Amino acid sequence: MTSPLSRRDLLRLAGAAAAVPVLSACAGAPPAQTAAPGTFTVYWNAGHDYQAYRKVIAEFEQANKVKVNLQKYQWPDLRTRLLADFASGTVPDLVEEPGGWVQEFAISGNARSLQDYVDRDGAAMGFPADWRPVTVERNSYQGKVYGVQLHLTCNTLLYNKAMLRDAGLEPPTTWEEFLAAAQKLTKDGVYGVALNQDYTYVWPWLTQAGVTPYDPKTGKIMDPVADAVEALRFQADLVHKYKVAPVPVSSTDYSGPQKLFSAKRAAMILTGPWDLDPIAKTSPDIELGIAPPLKHKEQATQAAGVSMFVPAKAARPDLSWDFIKRITDLKVEQAATKETGMLMPRVSWADLPEVRSNEAIKVFADALPYAQDSSQQVRLTGQLGKWEEQLKVMYQQILIQNEPADAALAKFTQAAEGFLK
Amino acid sequence: MTARRRPRTLASRYARTAYLFLTPAILFFAAFFYLPIGNVVATSLRTGPQADQWSGLANFGQALADPAVRHSFLVTVGFSVLVVAGSIVLGLALAMVIDQPLRGRVAFRVLLLVPYLTSVAIVGLLWRNILDPELGVLNRVLAATGLPQQQWLNTAPLLTIAAVTLWQSVGYTMVLFLAGLQGIPETYHEAAKIDGADGWRRFWRITLPLLAPTTLFVSVMAVISGLQAFGQAYIITNGGPGDATDLSVFHIFNVAFRTRDFGYSSAQSVLLLMVIVAFTLIQLRAGRRAEVVY
Repeated sequence: MTSPLSRRDLLRLAGAAAAVPVLSACAGAPPAQTAAPGTFTVYWNAGHDYQAYRKVIAEFEQANKVKVNLQKYQWPDLRTRLLADFASGTVPDLVEEPGGWVQEFAISGNARSLQDYVDRDGAAMGFPADWRPVTVERNSYQGKVYGVQLHLTCNTLLYNKAMLRDAGLEPPTTWEEFLAAAQKLTKDGVYGVALNQDYTYVWPWLTQAGVTPYDPKTGKIMDPVADAVEALRFQADLVHKYKVAPVPVSSTDYSGPQKLFSAKRAAMILTGPWDLDPIAKTSPDIELGIAPPLKHKEQATQAAGVSMFVPAKAARPDLSWDFIKRITDLKVEQAATKETGMLMPRVSWADLPEVRSNEAIKVFADALPYAQDSSQQVRLTGQLGKWEEQLKVMYQQILIQNEPADAALAKFTQAAEGFLK
Repeated sequence: MTARRRPRTLASRYARTAYLFLTPAILFFAAFFYLPIGNVVATSLRTGPQADQWSGLANFGQALADPAVRHSFLVTVGFSVLVVAGSIVLGLALAMVIDQPLRGRVAFRVLLLVPYLTSVAIVGLLWRNILDPELGVLNRVLAATGLPQQQWLNTAPLLTIAAVTLWQSVGYTMVLFLAGLQGIPETYHEAAKIDGADGWRRFWRITLPLLAPTTLFVSVMAVISGLQAFGQAYIITNGGPGDATDLSVFHIFNVAFRTRDFGYSSAQSVLLLMVIVAFTLIQLRAGRRAEVVY
């Protein structure tokens, strides 16, 4: 005979039942994606879900008998998620990053060295021989490769051919010509140029002015300072003095100039290949012209573009490497360029018929050899985040709030000297 | 020999039952609030990208001396003042209008509540698109009507995000004030009318004093939400232009997820928590003194 449950027993049972879900929640995050058999988790940028890559993913799934879980994010959200993952130890198998994170996470121990795979397969896949040196350098730390470049982009000049033709103008090649053209094009509700509020768009100007952002040997920041001030002031003057550009608005969105250009309210913008597709889709009637980067003290531009890396705690780095090899194949690069106009890091890519015969892509491709990676030296200090925060504030104070460039730069330099010590 | 149990009183039985029913909530709060808060406090005493090196109170000292932290705190206080004042004035004004026997007042109440029910992300994007000086709807309307165009996101960014916050939250404060207004016995107003008090005098002498508990609640909630505001800066202005809308929580978020200094960001979070608790206690104490009993 079983004794009936007492009230105390009932209370204990009820308490235990109530505690189960809560204690389960305390047990930790859901099982790691990497631990889930048959699932290969990739963090990817939302704008890079190309058909060419979908095809590679399908082949990868078939070859490795896994299902790829392609999680798409905007860069800030991807970073937030990734840092939370690093803290919890639950990491994806592969991460696409916007440039700069590979070295940052190599320094912090969160990225896995790929040197053993490069030693084994590099020659067969053409790495690093067929990759532009800047792309290998920015993905290496202490002589070891930690990431592989997926896209290599740069900024140059996009213009509305019809507007320039009507104004009797040739595409400008220097800052002086650029200002003169912008002044002539600014009329009837159309701006000569639209500048971006995003601080990364400052780099083409600074590199053209011959400015070195940071020299770890001398400790100098934004040197020569007079040239940096001139470059910053020139941009502010386009907005506030000459009024040939609208005042940009601070935002997480960097597509403002592209939207003005697509709406035919700006005749020129300085941007990269990521804006080609939106312009073609939203304004197919625009006669798009693409000119080489401007020249001042030197002809230069900013190297940008995304890479891939494998988190240090990723459970299946062999699979991750296989994914990297497949998606960086020259044929895949060729297909992605044909599909979207995106620029690629292989040297041999620049010689492809798709590149040489495409007027737009060719201009970008020809600019890549003199594209510079401006934040390389700062990245290696591990202080890139603080640097970018200060840079954003300085750039917007000058460009939007029209603060004196020399004073804003002095504040920036003082702050940077503090954390770069 | 077994000890004889003391007979339980009715009160102790009630207490045990109450604790039993409170247990799930206590466990929930412990797991999802108190443990994380404890974790943040522990992290605030560490440094490094992995927050794994003991640093004692260094992060707190650094935060108190950091001009960027001070700046973001002042920006946040300014934002909170605007939101608190606006919530009370606009919420009360709308509640008094709605409290009148108007036709369609139920629909009006619902319309005013809709923004409150909408997420800050949607509200932020909506107003970002309306207010954009070049691509926004508002300037097109202003241009069509011959009025001067606005650049508020550049010329008055803090005021603008405070106004957007008010637009979103004022429906909620209106409902709270409406409940408060409807709880004031009509006899007080009738007696005052007989004594010859006009509408303005009745508002100052009867309505406002008797709404003190509601006003206290609204102000406490508005201060807390103002000091904790994040989405407005993140979505509408990205903290800019420059650092003009660098609200404290947005600043803390950037320290954590951009510069990867979790120890330092945790210390700033703890300091902000202390400020919020202090503000709340001061408000509650001041509010209780101001309460009126007729």
